[in-house]
Amino acid sequence: MNCNKAKVLMSAAIDEELTSKEEAELNQHLAMCPECRAYFQDAKKTKIIIKERIVRVKAPQNLVESIVRMTNITST
Amino acid sequence: MKENKPVLSAKEQLKQKEFQEEAVTHINSLYNYALHLTMNPSDAQDLVQETYLKAYKFFDSFERGTNCKAWLFKILKNNYINKFRKNAREPGKVDYDLIKDFYHTIKDVQRDTTETDSDFFHSLLHEEVYQALQSLPEEFREVIQLCDIEGFTYEEIANMVESPIGTVRSRLYRGRKLLRAKLEDYARNHGYNTDSGE
Repeated sequence: MNCNKAKVLMSAAIDEELTSKEEAELNQHLAMCPECRAYFQDAKKTKIIIKERIVRVKAPQNLVESIVRMTNITST
Repeated sequence: MKENKPVLSAKEQLKQKEFQEEAVTHINSLYNYALHLTMNPSDAQDLVQETYLKAYKFFDSFERGTNCKAWLFKILKNNYINKFRKNAREPGKVDYDLIKDFYHTIKDVQRDTTETDSDFFHSLLHEEVYQALQSLPEEFREVIQLCDIEGFTYEEIANMVESPIGTVRSRLYRGRKLLRAKLEDYARNHGYNTDSGE
């Protein structure tokens, strides 16, 4: 496996979406390639940073209430 | 607080209870997704409200045991396309002022926990990460958002964006590559050396 193919697999590996065969192939490549190992670590961090840095807000209370109310009205 | 509360049949009461437990519980995620699609709190509220209205109406068709959040996201996305897409911003065109304003509006509502790491990723500001994400072509931004922020599986995402799993996988790879390049640009501006082999 070359480094380009390994990088494609790394993206899915981070999401735990590899088949066991792909995982074995990737691990084999990573064991031999320090550059890809470093890249893999950074790729994992990129995912974490997205999750951490994108601010999440709470839905406004009036919206929550209106939806709960809606289930009452629509149920008739 | 007295309301004209209709008397519900036992079946309706059960449906209502199940809906509240299964569907209403995802309201924060849906609202955030709507906010990021519309970039406008009022439009986001409308979108979420219409989504729940439709979801409740068709709740019987929701396949029990599958991911209700994914089902709701798909309804919201379809609503968004029908309602807002026609006059949406041009693809690939990013209004950084709009992002900046929007982000400052929502940022004050809730903040993250303390951050102690000092590598270049952690030097990035919330707003920069958001800008980098928003600047990606929609097909990439969407899958990253659904995967990294909302935690959907590839299968669920494929169903939501109506594309094969292989396409989702490849968009995630390409989107992340673009995103990383943008984040590295920001990090360089903070004085970090980001040379890492590619």
